[in-house]
Amino acid sequence: MGLKTMLLAGADEHDLTRLAEYQAIGGYKQAPKALAMSSDDLIAELQQANLRGRGGAGFPLGRKASLVDRKSPKPKYLVVNADESEPGAFKDREVMARVPHRLLEGCLIAAHAIESKDVFIYIRGEYLTEYEILQAAVDEARGAGLFGDVNVTVYRGAGAYICGEETALLDSLEGRRGQPRPRPPFPPVQGLYMAPTEINNVCTIATLPAILELGAAGFDQIGTPSSPGTVLFSISGNVEKPGNYELELGTSMRELIYTHAGGIAGGHQLKAVIPGGSSVPALTARQIDVPLDYDSLGAIGTFFGAASLIVVDERCCMVQLALRSTKFYMHESCGKCTPCREGTRWLVQILEKIERGDGEAADLDLLRKVCDRIEGKSLCALGDFAVWPVQSYFDKWHDEWVAHVEQGGCPFGGESSLEGIFAPSDQHTHSPVAEVPA
Amino acid sequence: MIPELRALGERYPDSRTAVLPALRLVQEQNGGWLTTESFEQVGEALGLTPAYCQAVASFYDMFHLAPVGRHSVEVCTNLSCALVGAQQVVDAFESELGVAPGETTEDGEITLRTVECLGGCGYATVVAVDHRYHQHVKPDDVPEIVKELRGA
Amino acid sequence: MSQPELVTVTIDGREVQVPKGLGLVEVALQAGIEIPVFCYEPRLGPPVGACRMCLVELEGVPKLQAGCTLTAADGMKVRTAQTSAKAAEGQDATLEFILVNHPLDCPVCDKGGECPLQDLTFRWGPGNTRMEFPKRTLEKPIPVSPAIALDRERCILCYRCTRFSESVAEDNQLVTQNRGASSVIATFDDRPYRAPFSGNVIELCPVGALTSTQYRFEARPWEIQNVPTVCGLCPVGCNVAATTREGKVKRMLSRNHPEVDEGWLCDKGRFAFTHLYAGDRLIEPLRRRQRSGLEEISWEDALDEAERLLRESGGRIVTALSGSETVEQAYALGRLLRGGLGAHTAVMPEETSQALDAFRLPLSAIREAELVVVLGDEPVAERAPVVELWLKAARRAGAEVHYAGDAHESCRRLAGSDDELGGRLRESERAILIWSGEDGAGGGHVAALARELGFDGKPGSGAFHLPRTANGRGVADAWACSDDGESEAPEQIGLLIVSGDEAAADPNVRVLAERAERVLVTSMFQSLAAGWADLVLPGTSYLERDGTTVNLEGRLQRQRRAVMAPVPDVVAWIAKLAERFGVELSPHVSVVFDEIGAKCFGGITFADVHERAELPPRAEKVSDTSKVSDTVASGSGLRLVAYRPLFSGAAVERTPELQFQKPEAEVQISPEDAKARGVRNGATVTVSSNGTSVELRARIARDLGAGVVRIPRDHAGDLHATVEVSA
Repeated sequence: MGLKTMLLAGADEHDLTRLAEYQAIGGYKQAPKALAMSSDDLIAELQQANLRGRGGAGFPLGRKASLVDRKSPKPKYLVVNADESEPGAFKDREVMARVPHRLLEGCLIAAHAIESKDVFIYIRGEYLTEYEILQAAVDEARGAGLFGDVNVTVYRGAGAYICGEETALLDSLEGRRGQPRPRPPFPPVQGLYMAPTEINNVCTIATLPAILELGAAGFDQIGTPSSPGTVLFSISGNVEKPGNYELELGTSMRELIYTHAGGIAGGHQLKAVIPGGSSVPALTARQIDVPLDYDSLGAIGTFFGAASLIVVDERCCMVQLALRSTKFYMHESCGKCTPCREGTRWLVQILEKIERGDGEAADLDLLRKVCDRIEGKSLCALGDFAVWPVQSYFDKWHDEWVAHVEQGGCPFGGESSLEGIFAPSDQHTHSPVAEVPA
Repeated sequence: MIPELRALGERYPDSRTAVLPALRLVQEQNGGWLTTESFEQVGEALGLTPAYCQAVASFYDMFHLAPVGRHSVEVCTNLSCALVGAQQVVDAFESELGVAPGETTEDGEITLRTVECLGGCGYATVVAVDHRYHQHVKPDDVPEIVKELRGA
Repeated sequence: MSQPELVTVTIDGREVQVPKGLGLVEVALQAGIEIPVFCYEPRLGPPVGACRMCLVELEGVPKLQAGCTLTAADGMKVRTAQTSAKAAEGQDATLEFILVNHPLDCPVCDKGGECPLQDLTFRWGPGNTRMEFPKRTLEKPIPVSPAIALDRERCILCYRCTRFSESVAEDNQLVTQNRGASSVIATFDDRPYRAPFSGNVIELCPVGALTSTQYRFEARPWEIQNVPTVCGLCPVGCNVAATTREGKVKRMLSRNHPEVDEGWLCDKGRFAFTHLYAGDRLIEPLRRRQRSGLEEISWEDALDEAERLLRESGGRIVTALSGSETVEQAYALGRLLRGGLGAHTAVMPEETSQALDAFRLPLSAIREAELVVVLGDEPVAERAPVVELWLKAARRAGAEVHYAGDAHESCRRLAGSDDELGGRLRESERAILIWSGEDGAGGGHVAALARELGFDGKPGSGAFHLPRTANGRGVADAWACSDDGESEAPEQIGLLIVSGDEAAADPNVRVLAERAERVLVTSMFQSLAAGWADLVLPGTSYLERDGTTVNLEGRLQRQRRAVMAPVPDVVAWIAKLAERFGVELSPHVSVVFDEIGAKCFGGITFADVHERAELPPRAEKVSDTSKVSDTVASGSGLRLVAYRPLFSGAAVERTPELQFQKPEAEVQISPEDAKARGVRNGATVTVSSNGTSVELRARIARDLGAGVVRIPRDHAGDLHATVEVSA
């Protein structure tokens, strides 16, 4: 357990954005190996490797590939989800910026598995520099004839968190408002342009060359039995050395925070860790002796998610944290389904009242109930993402919430690390709609 | 403009897919925002109604439906940046530029915005200046950033 | 057709056998259980699962599921709010969230009393609110168009209206703007929603967000009556309900006939009823006086005057019919004039034929087709609007829809043995021909083509002809069966009888009037009758009379009197006149119909014409002399199609809310022809033919083939059939 490079192997020593250097360390040797296999054999190999999706849900890639309707007369599509927008996550960005060819080689392998000739990489619009690097890599590799008859298209998003949800991503890629679709039908049967489609996260796809190199059996030796491999963890917030760290799955959270990320910054105390990006339930300082893998985090009531840890020290007011988080999800709610659209806005109103010091005991009760009424009711998981953190801050730091009500204001007295934080939702209008005063 | 936009449409299996790239191109050539005519242009080129194009544009944060400054300064204020002082960075830009978030300087040069997570959480505070990331930005760095921008 | 596989679904403990894949909402209905919905509406395409009203518990799945997106699978076990506390809690939550920002201004809302949001809240919702913050307040009402008002505060964002615009009408004009809680329904730049089917969004709206400007604050649901009838404004004959209050029509609603209209109406059918209350509506009969124009006279005097005109004409009578009369009106006129006066000469508005009865299909069959060919360049939506929606549905269902161009020429081409498309029409089991042009011999040409292509004996293949008039076929048949006599057309017209507004507006009828010694006009409007009539008898609208009509499928449908006309019933006064000429004629429509039914509708009675009328079976044998057209277009240059727009005519002229829908003064030209002439989209061009020309704005129409231009008739001036366009 501990540090191990696989995704980023060679990136410290070489400029792997350059094709020649990537090839010099053995790059683009695995794709031909995959292409020499039948798609059935390749899928079997990938299933055996048990690579779990790095995007959030942890669904095994091999199994996903096996669900793609390869017999369909329609074209098959491979879509890479590079819409990394989960607050706390910045690992896909580093992979694209530093090892773009490893991602592209992974694309060739995954595309062959599902018999696809068309690959789309949907990169969030804000990642301009990374887009340029990736596009240059595509051009260089295509120019070198490495793609064969596979088309790789890099497509830029335009600013919408929800497009990280796979069906919303497909709608966006089709030139629509990026809103989630009901499932079924699932993308492997009816995805992009109503054709069979596999969608995977950047880190998932970029791991494929390593699997081909090591073989499924070799890959399985790394990490834990149920979560093999390495993961690039993003860690941010109140730590000394925030950044991305590639670790074997199963490394302890304490090791990541205190050994690799240098512990809590400025001699402060650890208060909370949001382990999978801002959408998952938070852990207290007493819960960090946990292996970082899908099942261990699930066992203590949270999620592996996007492998992105946000570390919070004692100076942060949890009501403010909840309010800032909820404002984000309100801002990013696509508006399609009722509970998420209406519920997140209502939550913000209640949270503002509590933080302002106008809340009563009944408001705390209402807040929790509104969370429960959103949870599990929305069309996609965004509704859950909005309430899971709030529920956990509320339940685990309950005294702080009660203090807001009893003291008639924030117990941090203006000294919280989030004091006065401004959310774009306060100023955001896409197109002006006349609001009249109530 | 129309032939360029049509050409975008031909790059994808379905020309509708070109809506986002087409809107982005038109926006870039129109001083950073989209007008009634922009939607009519994109619609005509791609065989869509202007209403459809406007509906799509209004969904995404990076399309602007009102005038903006020549340059943009976007400060991330999501959790990771906020935990290490993004608000002080916003304050510094406010006083340096004399405008509040969402506003444009009087000379029409710079629009200040706060934005949601830019994916630079480990390098907080992240500020995107004309879509290029400045990382580890502290309030003290702000005057230099503004000076560079004004000189650009 | 093979039987669909049956599966067993258990819902709230009740087992039902249903076809595999059936939507759960329908499955529940079969079990006698209602799953409440807002956004679910199968006519709008696949379910979207947006409103979350239909949450149910599905065995084996931890999270509540949207019932509307589930389909029947064998062994599926579902519990709805009736037996699942979790589902009930989910629905209660959905309603609470929906109502958080809903203004609850039901007392002043037009929808109040017939509002699904009220009904579902009453049955499934919370009894109180925990929302204590100021609700969202937005500018309202927003005029989506002169006919439609939008209240964004009431909107619950179910997206029915925008889905209609995108997936049914395919006009993509009503859209959602912004994101999340800021989402609003809007048009481009707040411009009017200008499209032929816009009004359907009012009926689709499950709350009071989209309302009719005509109906705003006009009635409460407990004060109204909805009278089931059939629209009389075009040959489709959409099934409608006329909402009336205190003897006045207040609005029109669809009355979903799944084979005819699927519950959609065009805006003319929906909004043009206000012509009943036009300022120039005729109430009293008018008689010409020497030099001083028309004077009002009593109905007694008018009938005396009519009798005098009829007697003085000595049988030298010509009758011009509109094609909008009911079967009974046309028959009554025939009994009076043919039976009583031996005046057999009539001018019909258009040719009709029975030839198509052998290829008869319901309009809904268009959607089931795999290959559809439209012959003719008249826009289908302008001639028979709802047919256009069936064509769009066919295309969405995967059918190939071809626009073959000039009807006569393409008819001959397709009949030829070496035509590729013709060959595929021959091979197909589900092919449909639609004639959308003038001079189609009442369907005779397209019927001959269908025969030529071997459509006999193929129950999925058929043909339609889009006539110009609402009931031309019914009128012609009724006139024909009203008497057996025959006579030569009079050389000198003693009396021209003009029946109805369309005939009164027809330039050809005006020409006849110049040759007539006397003219008797029945019309609803003063301006159509003044200046040329010797006697004017006020007419009635399709909403004011009982009777039957025959639509373009050949379906006999019942029109009901929604409101009393301000003038005597046409059949009743004809019966009075008939009596004076010794003709026995009942003033009662039901008796009149039974007489016609016996003679020309196979013996059916008035009571047999149901509210959702059935289509008669295909005729086995029709006496058919029709042949594929031999009309050849003449001249060089561009062929002009001067079409009659949907938004034109006497009723539209008298509907303020439809004025914005009237077509622009523009000429539609194909991209090829435009390019060859250097014509740019939106530029002013000159359209000319032998000695006459008009200036119009050019619109490049991608659906138009080369060699043709289209101009709305009112803007075509005196242009000939062949024109040239210059930039």
